[in-house]
Amino acid sequence: MRFSLNSLKRVLMISHYTFKEIIKSKILLNTLFLGFAILTITYVALSFTYGEATKISLDFGLGLLTMSSIGIAIFIGVGLLSKEIESRTVYMVISRPVKRHEFIIGKILGLNLVLMLNIAILSVFTYLTYFYIGGVFTSLLIWTIFFIMLESLLVLLLVCLLSLITTQTLTVIISLAVYVTSHGIHTALKTSFTQSQPLLEQLLKILHYILPAFYKLNIKSFLLYQQEIATSYLLGASLHTLFYCLFLVFLCIYVFKTKDLN
Amino acid sequence: MLTFYNISKVFNTDILKKSFTALDDVSFNIPEGKIIGFLGANGAGKTTSIKIAMDFIRPSSGTVEFGETLRSNKNTIFDKIGYLPERPFFYPHLTGKDFCYYMGALSGLNRSTINKQIHFWAPRFNIEFALNREIKGYSKGMLQRIGFLVTLLHNPKLIILDEPLAGLDPVGRKELREIIVEVNKQGTTVFFSSHIVSDMEEICHDVVFLKSGRMIFNGSVKSLIDKNTKLENEIRFIHDGQLCVKIISEDKKLAFLNSCLSQNDNIISVKRVQASLEEIFYEV
Repeated sequence: MRFSLNSLKRVLMISHYTFKEIIKSKILLNTLFLGFAILTITYVALSFTYGEATKISLDFGLGLLTMSSIGIAIFIGVGLLSKEIESRTVYMVISRPVKRHEFIIGKILGLNLVLMLNIAILSVFTYLTYFYIGGVFTSLLIWTIFFIMLESLLVLLLVCLLSLITTQTLTVIISLAVYVTSHGIHTALKTSFTQSQPLLEQLLKILHYILPAFYKLNIKSFLLYQQEIATSYLLGASLHTLFYCLFLVFLCIYVFKTKDLN
Repeated sequence: MLTFYNISKVFNTDILKKSFTALDDVSFNIPEGKIIGFLGANGAGKTTSIKIAMDFIRPSSGTVEFGETLRSNKNTIFDKIGYLPERPFFYPHLTGKDFCYYMGALSGLNRSTINKQIHFWAPRFNIEFALNREIKGYSKGMLQRIGFLVTLLHNPKLIILDEPLAGLDPVGRKELREIIVEVNKQGTTVFFSSHIVSDMEEICHDVVFLKSGRMIFNGSVKSLIDKNTKLENEIRFIHDGQLCVKIISEDKKLAFLNSCLSQNDNIISVKRVQASLEEIFYEV
């Protein structure tokens, strides 16, 4: 697998048209709808809460932002490669001087751009509302958005990999299961019930090491409750996720390269 | 230009199901500069062969070799090949023009070259009126036309078309046949599969004939027809003022003609009875 300038051009071309195709499917209408939902919910919450308005605003905003980006990563990501194969559009691309790894990286990059745009738009809605009602700036505001971006990229790569080896329905089910399990496993390991069951504890520990560490990327509670978080943790979690993403990209490329495109 | 050496393909769709042999020891050659038809009934293995040639699927055994004109490096090979899949379906939210730009750019063409090619080919394919429309609104025939157009954008040396004439009305088929002949005259080798045997007979120099995953013929259309035609002649003559038609075998032809002449019959025509490619296809 070698990269040259021409190779990079082809990857960017594929990502450009993937982005264009998804944007034209009016997915951003959903984003705008959620943006206005954030404004409405915050406005309503202001009437019911006293002194906690900024917290409620952030909580709703970041919650909706996470849900929408994970939703796009799963439900658009599941068809990103499998639909190309099913509808044979992939044939038109790889019958050109395009290598399979260029195709897959371009497709993932294209959808990831959509994800980033979605997150950027909703972040603007969330933070503008937050500052408007008196919220104060902290660096965690930036880190939280960055971690949501990493989380959605991780989900997207997991979905892409699964969609290459199983059906679309199973991909959605497994991805959701992995996402929920990975978030819960960290807490489950700390419960006294798990600690009293050595076999279960071992099993959870193995899963804890294998599954993507989504729980590490959830720093919303630190932001909401204005708790301190070490920079080393933030950097460590970022690096861990980036390496996991890289590993998933290589797996996707390997599976796609060896796959018969029937 | 493109040679298949002992290609076999076995599909193992399910662990519990029996494996299926789609191609069994298939060897053939696509010579440069010709139009080659790929014949065979449904399930004969035509699309599987084309997918193997395009490296979409790998053969279980055997090799595909590209000639010097296409070079041996993957990138340069696919730079010079145009391919149109069976029942094409393209990105629904892109316009026809966007799709041309996308495919052209992947072949390394710049905007102005792509525009030039679009201006040249779009009127020929009668698709210029729809270039700014989203592809999701295209009919089956329009998809076929835009697909064919992008196949020719980069002036390929070899075009491989999987059922390019399917789904087109007779006028559309005629237009596409003419374009196939025209690009071939300009030096492009054409390899295409089709169920419409009459079209093949009209434009192909050679055919590759598959039956149940095995190759049963590779050669010129004429030799396939000759091989499958009985040596019979149709003789038209006037006997006692009435037009008569007689089918007579080659070995009895002379004797029959002599007897006609001796009876002062007026011989109008002596024509060899020739089976059409379509009749041979049905027979095989």
